[in-house]
Amino acid sequence: MHKIVSQNVNFYYGEFQALHDISLSVKENTVTALIGPSGCGKSTYLRLLNRMNDLIDNTHMSGTITIDGNDIYDKHTNVDDLRKNVGMVFQKPNPFPKTIFENVAYGLRVNGITDKKIIEERVITSIEQVALWEEVKDKLHKSAFELSGGQQQRLCIARALAIQPSVLLMDEPTSALDPISTSKVEELIYELKKQYTIVIVTHNMQQAGRISDNTAFFYMGELIEYDKTKTIFTKPTKKQTEDYITGRFG
Amino acid sequence: MASHLELEIDKLKSVIIKIGELAEGQVNEAVKALLYEPFSEVKEVKKTENKIDKLDVKIDDICQGIFALQQPVASDLRFIISSMQIGNEIERIGDLAMSIIKQSKSIKEKHELVSQFNIAEIAKDVELITSKMNQCFLALDEALIDDIFTLNTEVKQRSTEAIENIIVEMKNNSKKVLSGTHLVIALKHLERIADHNSNVAESVYFMINAKTIKHEKFSDKK
Amino acid sequence: MSTEKKLANKKRRNQNIAFGLFTGISYSVVGLLFVILAFIVVKGIGVISWEFISAMPKEGMTAGGIFPAIVGTLCLVLVSMVFAFPVGVFAAIYMNEYVKDGWVKKIIKQMTNNLAGVPSIVFGLFGMSLFVNKLGFGDSILAGGLTLGLLVLPVVIRTTEESLKAVENTFRQASLGLGASKWQTTRNVVFPIAFPNIITGLILSIGRVSGETAPILFTVAAYFLPKLPTSIFDQAMALPYHLYVISTSGTNIEASRAMAYGTALVLIVIVLISNLLANKLRKHFGKKVKMN
Repeated sequence: MHKIVSQNVNFYYGEFQALHDISLSVKENTVTALIGPSGCGKSTYLRLLNRMNDLIDNTHMSGTITIDGNDIYDKHTNVDDLRKNVGMVFQKPNPFPKTIFENVAYGLRVNGITDKKIIEERVITSIEQVALWEEVKDKLHKSAFELSGGQQQRLCIARALAIQPSVLLMDEPTSALDPISTSKVEELIYELKKQYTIVIVTHNMQQAGRISDNTAFFYMGELIEYDKTKTIFTKPTKKQTEDYITGRFG
Repeated sequence: MASHLELEIDKLKSVIIKIGELAEGQVNEAVKALLYEPFSEVKEVKKTENKIDKLDVKIDDICQGIFALQQPVASDLRFIISSMQIGNEIERIGDLAMSIIKQSKSIKEKHELVSQFNIAEIAKDVELITSKMNQCFLALDEALIDDIFTLNTEVKQRSTEAIENIIVEMKNNSKKVLSGTHLVIALKHLERIADHNSNVAESVYFMINAKTIKHEKFSDKK
Repeated sequence: MSTEKKLANKKRRNQNIAFGLFTGISYSVVGLLFVILAFIVVKGIGVISWEFISAMPKEGMTAGGIFPAIVGTLCLVLVSMVFAFPVGVFAAIYMNEYVKDGWVKKIIKQMTNNLAGVPSIVFGLFGMSLFVNKLGFGDSILAGGLTLGLLVLPVVIRTTEESLKAVENTFRQASLGLGASKWQTTRNVVFPIAFPNIITGLILSIGRVSGETAPILFTVAAYFLPKLPTSIFDQAMALPYHLYVISTSGTNIEASRAMAYGTALVLIVIVLISNLLANKLRKHFGKKVKMN
């Protein structure tokens, strides 16, 4: 059963067509890596999945994207509900200027959950899920900015998990982190796929290899090749893919 | 939380243990076929041989995946390089065991020859060396590596001796030339099995110590 | 000498000249500022005393203190900020967070910029006709404060907008991505992050307000009023206007010269204090929302 199905998706920034006819399906509980050179459309595609591109003026898309069979661009779709179901983690750790606890509780509060017990329970579970509990349990009510970059990023992941999404989008989540933090986040992603469907944009091909089940190679707004990661990395069928992953691009 | 790479390596390890056990079984069957007759389980043995071949391919496949996706370094890297070699060696052991079984069918008056030239002792040593090889990989035990090298040398000496004796016997008794030739081939195969086992031991040594001892004389191998 | 070497020497010489020039200019700007400050301090320090700060002016403003002018200025600042801060901040939030890029935004922006360029005397006239006459506030702190508020409104809008713009978009996206509404996002995430910069802009505009003369000329300022205002509908004295009066049209200009410098010194000190406060506050709040 496919969790996310996109069919013939085109996307435009004004006159510029950023995505050409992308059809791509993502299975439940898998990690799918989107790779490709800068400006290839991989981040744009990722942001279509929680309608983040809606925020950019003067853009439009065609084609359909469904999550669990529901067309997310249908006019009856509630964008807030969609975004609750599709969490997002960004390139740079971006905790809010709040305490560690309140950062994770934020999503619950803005969605109208007021029961203290539920909030506390979910916050703790989420922090545990990202393996951060031991590191922050004594300073839950201190500013999130006191954490290291890697910890902040895991906190941001916890923040996304707290509202119990089923899909997790990650936009180069480790590009601002040191190698140790990176490998921690990578292991975390590997763990999280048991419960979530993860789509991750990465510039780091080795990272795509390490953590993803499937890899999609984007180039100039087109989906060049999409297959099992192992297949892409050992016997890609398209020359462009081969050139890109071997670093012989251009 | 075991890392992804660790999980892959564990998988690889279990496949090698499996292929090692199967090969050891094949060697035991080969020894049985050589020492006792008649040998009737050819079908079973062939099936196992197929399994070994498949596992060998699987090892290559896993290693390829790890190389392409995980960028192993240091001890992980050595483990995977060694694993590929060990897979090949063990697959060869399986092949040679098969050949011995085939050769054995053509040896007439087997019991007589076997007891005449102390073949049983050599065969038992080869069985032992194979089982030690498996233990050695499992436990990454350097002491066993030494044992394997010593046994290999012994097998070689005994087998050379036996072959010389067989040739003398063949010169004296032309009726025994055919069986003798098959026996010599079987002995050579046994020797090779011991050799491959000793190659596995070298790979294990490389895995542990990051030092290559291939192509060194046995006496220096330590 | 090889051409390469010549070229390198020439490059270095040019660089040295340029560097020297820039250094010279920067230092002379700082130097000029110090000269002005020193001039005023030297001339004005003599009259500074507790009485000068806390007493009413006497004898045609040639003696006594400037207390009512200080109070008047503080009242004006307060009223103008109470008006300009919420209006300016909300306008900026609306412009930066809600209006889509397009001609509407462009026009609002252009208008705000134009407003910032309007001479302050025009604000004074406008304030007089709207607040003093039309709305019937009369010459009062309210009318003057509102006029000053209008004057700094574009500054408040601009600085707030810049502060909001400096907040990385991923914060908004992260909040919206958690199902928060635009308003929740602005209130809980964007505004707190931008706050240190907003507050800085605000306090700097206090400096501007406390120094303006033209807008209060027709709306509030009393030539000579040796008592404190009792409500926002009262007239009041104000430091800049007082300074203007005693240096140009006082009863005895020569006699009040020293007092004029003293007044200027007090005014400068008030502006200086508000700038220092701005710095302090920005650092204080900045720590809370420090990015790594």
